[in-house]
Amino acid sequence: MAENAVGLFARPELALSAAEELVDAGFTATELMSPVPVEGVEEVLGRNKSAIKRFTFFGCIFGACFGFSLAAGTAVLYLHPTGGRPIITVPPFLIITYEMGILFGILATVIGFFISARLPAMSDRVYVPEASVDKFVVTVPCSNREEFDRAEGILRNADAEEIRAIGEVL
Amino acid sequence: MQAKVNPVGEPLQYADVNRDVIRSLTQTGRRYYIALATAFGLTIVCFFFPWFYQLYYGLGAAGMNHPGVWGTYLANFIFWIGLSHSGTLLSCVLHLTNSTWRKAMYRSAEAMTLFSLMVAATFVMVHVGRPWFIHWALPYSNQMELWPNFRSPLLFDVMAIATYLTGSSIFIYMGSIPDFAAARDRTAGWRHHMYVLLSMGWRGTDKEWHRLGWAYTFLAVLIIPLAVSVHSIVSWDFAMSLVPALHQTIFAPYFVVGAIYSGTAGIVTVMFVLRKSMNFEQYITEVHFDNLGKLLLALSLMWTYINIVELFTGWYSGTSAEHEALKFKLFGYYALLYWEMILFCAVAPLLLISTRFRTSLVPMLILSIAINIGMYTERFLIVATSLSRQYLPDAWGLYVPSLVEISILVGSLAMFVTLFLLFVKIFPSVSMYEVKETMGAPGREFPEKGTELWPKTQ
Repeated sequence: MAENAVGLFARPELALSAAEELVDAGFTATELMSPVPVEGVEEVLGRNKSAIKRFTFFGCIFGACFGFSLAAGTAVLYLHPTGGRPIITVPPFLIITYEMGILFGILATVIGFFISARLPAMSDRVYVPEASVDKFVVTVPCSNREEFDRAEGILRNADAEEIRAIGEVL
Repeated sequence: MQAKVNPVGEPLQYADVNRDVIRSLTQTGRRYYIALATAFGLTIVCFFFPWFYQLYYGLGAAGMNHPGVWGTYLANFIFWIGLSHSGTLLSCVLHLTNSTWRKAMYRSAEAMTLFSLMVAATFVMVHVGRPWFIHWALPYSNQMELWPNFRSPLLFDVMAIATYLTGSSIFIYMGSIPDFAAARDRTAGWRHHMYVLLSMGWRGTDKEWHRLGWAYTFLAVLIIPLAVSVHSIVSWDFAMSLVPALHQTIFAPYFVVGAIYSGTAGIVTVMFVLRKSMNFEQYITEVHFDNLGKLLLALSLMWTYINIVELFTGWYSGTSAEHEALKFKLFGYYALLYWEMILFCAVAPLLLISTRFRTSLVPMLILSIAINIGMYTERFLIVATSLSRQYLPDAWGLYVPSLVEISILVGSLAMFVTLFLLFVKIFPSVSMYEVKETMGAPGREFPEKGTELWPKTQ
């Protein structure tokens, strides 16, 4: 893990303006950790597109096809004619289609969430425990000492309560 | 409303929320252990012993016989499925409508859904008599060519309940990930290891919050129609039979409204107990009871209307079998139970018109329990009265539950309580991050002058 300049802020708007300045200064990998979702952060850091909706959509479509195939396939493979009714009875099979569509949609949404949020964490990442309580934390990965000093300066000017260096010392 | 303050009299801050909720996980008093031991003991003695007795001696140990072949096991099944309804459904609806008052109570309501579903699923096994063949209900090919019949509402049930259980479990888990991370940072020993696994490395970055927000909303959108379908399908177990008083098209909405009604009453009961036992007076306030009371009032009126329509359609059908079933329900052997149900579910909830009643917690608790007693009676009557009066008089008969069945009902309540008691020590029962969202930024006075934690308008 490269060295990160980490600034702790008491208020979300201060952290947000610090993050904006860092992005403007060319630190595009800046992250903001917070105890609650921060309004407006997507506009500043630009991570507002995710593939989750596609996972949900295709999960539902796949599940619905699977559900109908399961019911219809069972009826065709193991014939059980009843009272002259069709073998593939669409209205009741649509209920299985519907349930399976929702089930696979839910499962695909969860998979989509984990993939797009890059969870579970497989390697060490920057983390500040105060971010789960009451601090708004801006982290900036730096590749050399000069970058670190520049990022530290921006964080300090933005009224960070505390600045830490986390990761391998440069 | 009284100001929200922490123990030293200062306005409540973000850190206070973490402290209060994590304290509820880690600090366990003697009363908790006594309650858990009692509930677990009752589950063993009242649920598992009678069930094993029934397995050993056969289904004859239960009071079921011709014509009352369904009995209390199916009534229990519908009751627990019904109780499961409000938690996740209400949570999803309130999430999509952005209601702030949901935030302190939804986690426990969702847990109620989960455990009610689990208890309901055990009743399928209790009812079938030979639970070791339960896998026959699953769609897989085998040498006996025994494939499930996908035209049957019973198989719809298997699919719908399995989907609802999966969806509810995932929904409660996804919403808890940030709180698991907060608990991870402030616990030690086995709890710490458990929360490390459950939080999956959550850090609360902007990207993680964004993805969680979308995934959670999609899940809510998927679960709402699913919840409606689950109880509609349970109603078709009955409505698609040709039994008088059951074969009615109104059954699906009737069951869905009844389920949300009993589930909402269940939430009131759970909120009261949680507020008292976990010292959550700061978070679960009169506003929650007031809003839930309004919801209960609306649901009771809908439920009453549907009951009147059910009686009317029976009478308007003009068939002698329907008329006999109707007469038997209103004035027959089980009439006392019917009027008790009307008293508890249609008349008593009219008290909720009064704001003073809705914000009085003990009366709300008593009413919520009364509603669920009434709703259990409703489920029992659906099963018992209709099968007792089918078409031919020589097929008429009465059903009275045996001691084994009554004991298993009591045991199922104890099982639910046991599961819930275990839940409150593993899951943060109030959502920390969502409560914080309602508080504004840290450092501000909370609540700000002239504002309330849970605005009444939402």
